Amino acid sequence: MSDPKDPVDPFPTQAHPPVSPFPPLDPPSDWIGAADAHDLPTRENALVALGRFAFPPAPPLDEEGEASRARRWTSQTLFIVCAFLMIFNAGSVQNWALQQPPGWGQSTVDRLATVWVEQLDLLGTNLPVEGMRQTWREFQAVRFDGRKDEAA
Amino acid sequence: MLFPTLAFAVFFLFVYLVSWSLDRENGRRKLFLLLASWFFYAQWDWRFVGLLIASAVLNWGVAALIVRSDRAGRRKLWVGLGVAANLVILGFFKYYGFFVEQAVDLLAQFGWERDLPLLQVVLPVGISFFTFQGISYVVDVYRGKTAPAESLLDVMLLMSFFPHLVAGPIVRASDLLPQFARVPRLTREMATHGLLLIVWGLFKKTVIASELATRLVDPVFFDPSAYGAIDIAAAVYAYAVQIYCDFSAYSDMAIGIAALLGYSFPRNFDQPYRAASMQAFWRRWHISLSSWLRDYLYVPLGGGRKGLWSSCLNVMITMLLGGLWHGAAWTFVAWGALHGGAQVVERLGRAVVKDRKVIPTWLGVLITFHVVCLGWILFRAETFDLAVQMLVGLGRFEAFSLVTPFVLVLIVGGLAMHGLPPRAIEGLAERLKTAPSPTLGVLIGAAILLVEAMRPEGVAPFIYFQF
Repeated sequence: MSDPKDPVDPFPTQAHPPVSPFPPLDPPSDWIGAADAHDLPTRENALVALGRFAFPPAPPLDEEGEASRARRWTSQTLFIVCAFLMIFNAGSVQNWALQQPPGWGQSTVDRLATVWVEQLDLLGTNLPVEGMRQTWREFQAVRFDGRKDEAA
Repeated sequence: MLFPTLAFAVFFLFVYLVSWSLDRENGRRKLFLLLASWFFYAQWDWRFVGLLIASAVLNWGVAALIVRSDRAGRRKLWVGLGVAANLVILGFFKYYGFFVEQAVDLLAQFGWERDLPLLQVVLPVGISFFTFQGISYVVDVYRGKTAPAESLLDVMLLMSFFPHLVAGPIVRASDLLPQFARVPRLTREMATHGLLLIVWGLFKKTVIASELATRLVDPVFFDPSAYGAIDIAAAVYAYAVQIYCDFSAYSDMAIGIAALLGYSFPRNFDQPYRAASMQAFWRRWHISLSSWLRDYLYVPLGGGRKGLWSSCLNVMITMLLGGLWHGAAWTFVAWGALHGGAQVVERLGRAVVKDRKVIPTWLGVLITFHVVCLGWILFRAETFDLAVQMLVGLGRFEAFSLVTPFVLVLIVGGLAMHGLPPRAIEGLAERLKTAPSPTLGVLIGAAILLVEAMRPEGVAPFIYFQF
C-alpha cells in the first residue's frame, strides 16, 4: 500500500483519524457512551403487557432463518418482475425468438410467443409501452428549428 | 452474451435459481457457478475457456509454490516468474501484432526491411481484466496480504466469475476469496441494491450511451472534417457522457448481479466528473484499475517516497502503462501521457503553492473535466490524424446538423447525474428494502418497461469489452 502520509500520492489512501483539538482527559471520563436517557425503566402499559402475554412475539430469527427469508423475498420479487414484463412487454420474447437461428426450440418459442402476444394485445397490455415509445420517438424527432426529423 | 439482453436474463435467472438451491453445499454451488461462468464466456469463443483455465492453474500453482518456499529468494523468484508469465499471456494476445508492426516500421527506417511473422491473434474478451486479477492474487499471496486459496476451484472461480469476467471491476482475491469460504448470505438490502443497480445500469447503457453513440459520437468521430465546431464540441462532451454511462453501467450491473448471487464487489465509479483535480479524477474513475495500478505498479516503482521528481516520474510511467493497458495503439499511450502529464503539473503546482487554495473548487472541476475531455478525443479517435482533425474542427464555425434537443438532454442529463447525492442508489435501496415483494417487483418491472420503451433497437457491445 502507498504511504498514507505521502501528500503527493495520486491515488486514494487511507484517511487519518482526525486529531482532537482538546487535551486528553486525565483521569479518563466515567461517561458511558452507550447509555441513553431512553434506557431508563418505564412502566409498561397494562394492555400492551396483556397483549404480549396472549400473543407472544415470535423469537427472533437466527442468521440462517433471516437469510432464507431474504432469499424467498428476493425470489418473489424477481418472479413478479418477470411476470410483469411477460404481460406488459410480451413482444420482446417474440422479437428475441425471431432473431435466433431456426430450429425446433426457436420455432416452439416463436409460436408460443405469438399466441401469447396476440391474446395480450386483445387486452391492451401492450398499450403502455407503445404509448411511452411513441412519446419518446416524437421527442427524439424534435429539431431546434421546430421541424420534425423524419428519419428519427 | 451481453448483460442487457433477454438471453442473459434467462441465463441469469437459471443461475440464480440453481445456485440458491445449492445453498447447503458450498463446493457444489461454486462448481456450478464456475461451469456457468465458462458457459457465459464460451458464448464469445469457447476456445478461450481453455486460456481462462490455464491462467487460473498457472496462478494457483505459482501461489502454492510461493507458500511452500521457505527461502525469501525463492519466493521472489516464483512471484517474478508468475507475474512474467501473466504478462507474456497478455502481451501475446493483446500486443503481439502491435509490437511486430512497430518493429517492422523501426527496422524499415534504418533501411533494414524484414518481413517479421505477423499473426492474426484474436483478442480474448476480458483478458486484461482476468490477467490483472491473476497478478494481484500472486503478488498478494507473496506479500502476505491474502491467504492462498483453499482450492484450485476458488482460484478458477475468482478469475472466471461471470459478473466481472469480461469488463471488470477487477475484484481482488482479498475481496472475493473470503466470500467463497462459505455459502454467502443474501440480505434484503443487498438484493434491493442489486436490483436497483441493474435497472440503473440498463438505463445508462441502453438509453443514454447507445443513443449518444449512434446519433452523435460515431458519425462525428468517423469523419470530423464533415462537421463544424458545435457538432464536434457536442460530440466530445457526448463521448464523455457515453463512456461514463457505458462503463459505469457495466460495473453497476456486474455489482448488482453479484449481489443477487450473494457476493459483494467493490465500487468502481464515484461520480468522476465531480473531481476537482486529475488526482481526484483517478480516485473516482475505474477505481479498481487505478487502485491496482497504485498497488502493483506505482508503489513498487517507489511511489512518492523518494521525492517530488521521482514521484512525478513514477506517476508518468504508471499512466503511460495504464494507457497502453487500454489498447495496443499510440493514441492510448498519448491518452496516458496526457493524464500523467496533467498529474505531474498538479504535483509541481502543489509543491509551489503548498496548502494554499489558489483556484476555487468549481473552477477545478471545470478545468479537470475539460482536460479529461481532451483525453477522450485521443481515446476515441481511431488515429492521431482523426484526433487532430477533431481539434482543428473545434475552430471551424459552421451550422450544426447533429445536435438536437434530444441529444442535448442526454448530454446534460448524463452530466447532471454527477449532481445526485453521492450514495443515492444505496439510499433508495435502504428505503425500498422494507417494501413488500409485490410492490418492489412492480416498481422494478415498471422501471425496466420504461427503459425498454426508450431504448433503441439492438444493443451495442460495451466499450470496455475491447480492452
